[in-house]
Amino acid sequence: MSLARLRGLGAVLFAAALLLLWQLLADRQFISPVFFPSPSRTLAELYRQVVQGDLWRPLEATAYRMFYGWALASLAGVALGAAIGFSRTARDYLDPLLEFMRPLPASAVIPAAVLFFGFSNTMTVAVIAFGAVWPVLLGSLHGFVSIEPQLADVSAALRLSRLQSFVKIAVPNALPDILAGTRVSLAISLILAVVTEMQASQTGLGQNILLAQRSFRSPELYAGVVTLGIMGFAINHGIVLLERRLLRWRGAA
Amino acid sequence: MRRILRGALLPALVFLLWEAGSRAGLLPMDTFSRPSDIATALAGGFADGSIPLATWQTIQAALSGFAVAAAAGVLVGAILGLSPPLERTVGPSIEALRPIPAVALTPLTLLLFGFGLRMEAGIVAFACVWPILLVTVAAVRGIEPRLLEVAQTLRLGFASRLRKIILPAALGRIVVGLRVAVSISLIVAVTVEIVMNPRGLGYGMIIAQQSLKPDLMYAQLLWLGLLGWGLNALLTRAFGQWHGSFGPGVQP
Amino acid sequence: MRESPATVLSLEKVCVAFGGRPVLSDISFDVGAGEFLCVVGPSGCGKTTLIRLLAGLLAPSAGEILFQGRRLAGTGRDRAIVFQDYSKALLPWRTVAGNIALSLEACGIADPERSERIGALLAKMRLEHAAAQFPSQLSGGMQQRVQIARCLAQQPTLLLMDEPFGALDAITRQELQDEIARLVAENRTTVVFITHDLEEAIYLGDRVIVLGTNPGRIAEMIAVEIPRPREQLETREDRRFLAHRHRLFGLLQGHRA
Repeated sequence: MSLARLRGLGAVLFAAALLLLWQLLADRQFISPVFFPSPSRTLAELYRQVVQGDLWRPLEATAYRMFYGWALASLAGVALGAAIGFSRTARDYLDPLLEFMRPLPASAVIPAAVLFFGFSNTMTVAVIAFGAVWPVLLGSLHGFVSIEPQLADVSAALRLSRLQSFVKIAVPNALPDILAGTRVSLAISLILAVVTEMQASQTGLGQNILLAQRSFRSPELYAGVVTLGIMGFAINHGIVLLERRLLRWRGAA
Repeated sequence: MRRILRGALLPALVFLLWEAGSRAGLLPMDTFSRPSDIATALAGGFADGSIPLATWQTIQAALSGFAVAAAAGVLVGAILGLSPPLERTVGPSIEALRPIPAVALTPLTLLLFGFGLRMEAGIVAFACVWPILLVTVAAVRGIEPRLLEVAQTLRLGFASRLRKIILPAALGRIVVGLRVAVSISLIVAVTVEIVMNPRGLGYGMIIAQQSLKPDLMYAQLLWLGLLGWGLNALLTRAFGQWHGSFGPGVQP
Repeated sequence: MRESPATVLSLEKVCVAFGGRPVLSDISFDVGAGEFLCVVGPSGCGKTTLIRLLAGLLAPSAGEILFQGRRLAGTGRDRAIVFQDYSKALLPWRTVAGNIALSLEACGIADPERSERIGALLAKMRLEHAAAQFPSQLSGGMQQRVQIARCLAQQPTLLLMDEPFGALDAITRQELQDEIARLVAENRTTVVFITHDLEEAIYLGDRVIVLGTNPGRIAEMIAVEIPRPREQLETREDRRFLAHRHRLFGLLQGHRA
């Protein structure tokens, strides 16, 4: 067996050992099963939800809100990042406002959003968009601002029009940073989707967990947490794969 | 100088229009409130001590969670960084736990600790530990091997080695992770308060909104914004510009 | 200064100053069609400033530059500039073929002519096998070849080269020197070539201008008058080559002191 496979096996064994420990503690009732259901019960619950179809509606609801808010945020973020990146004056005017809004916890705008939109989908999407816009905006800004000066010379020497220069040089140059920002942005979107669900009692994975807690059904609670973890992992991995495909050219450097 | 004036223009304009629109009856008072009322509410909140108390509660939770995460993250990160085989074994399990949104654990910690400081700090700790852990592993892995050999020849015990050689050498990069975690701690604390925990500024805003006191809600939001901005400015002054996930970055 | 109908470039008392500090002073020379002009000088004498001037990336503070009889104003696609830092002048996200295509896109040339021209240039610069590779996967010499190919794709009247081989190893440098000499002879391109390497200047050039420093002034202009095609070993041992070398070496030393 090759060294790499041996190491992989080690990792799997460790994870398995952790689960086994958890299972033993739960079975022996060293910790109350109310708080710590065993992995077997959690998995059984998860399986039940998948098979009986209870999982899909909440999953879909959460995912829908998440992507919708994220998409809005990305469009706005890239556009604003480009606009600010290219205009010194725009930056002067907008900087203080942006510097103030950026560190603001996105969830803090929820009460205000509820005031404006009530407990509706609009509220949710607005909050998600507000939170998710920053990483993309900053990434986009960074990408558009840091163009190699030689490339600017090349663009001038070839007499590229502003549009050509933007499409052929500025955008591809900014792409790595935009993608990095997108990854963070999606993570934030997921979190905010869950948070707003809990707040607004909307159908979704977040609400599932909340309800499970209120009725002390801990296997459901844990199953929900696991589902969210898997979702987060899958999304992140998806972007990583996308990055690898789109940014092949970074390879040997 | 011109830049400061330009920067101040937009906020000033916003406030003016907001105030004027509200007084003219164009903006409904129950959703928009008005700057003058908000200022009054802010002053009032300070005068009767409610805002300082809420601020302290939020900061307390954020800081305690951060402290736990920092201690655990640096220690475990250092151990994993020093032992690549161990890191490879434990790594995937960490990768499995990391994507779980910290907020999703709110109901769980509620079950365990009930409402209050411990529950909030617990979630903050969970959220903060990952960036610290990962950065520490990378930082320790990147330590000049010669230094580690020096530690070996001097026959330093693990704790000594950690204190005298490993941590100082990796400190620069670890600090970046800590900075990220500090920002996260405040955000997560406020989020937990908004979702569930009856403590702190987040909860204060929810209460204000539910009791139809929008001016108080906006006042607290403004105050929170100032806190966040102040914290960020302080950290930037101490550790350099940070652009989200890009580490210390260039001033645009 | 000879003014013949085939004069491509003409500089008259050109000066460049940055914030009051003179960088180039009283520069006057002509370049004829198909001529290979080399400019040498110690570091800081304003060589790069001169080439950026000719490219149109800079404007002179005083004096006049005529290109093909008309006043030079800004950049133009009939002048191509090869930068010294090739890694930063290529688009890292495009393949070799893609980088060459950039010039053709700028000139508004579409397929199928575009692909044909790219193919021809790849063959000419011996880059066929690397057509689908990214700059990060290529050696320094190959990257510089790509940059040259991109510039040749513009079919420029004037080719400007800013110490193009300075960052390459000696063997690659010699290969590229011969390649460039061959290419410009084929197309009868006019070339202004900047270098700090005296021997390179004499080897490649029809004429060599020596710039003094602080501020950059023309210290000397010589006509090389060694027949082409030239050869790395023989030419460098030629009597005339050695004579020029002696003469200009002394000049450069003097100015460095």
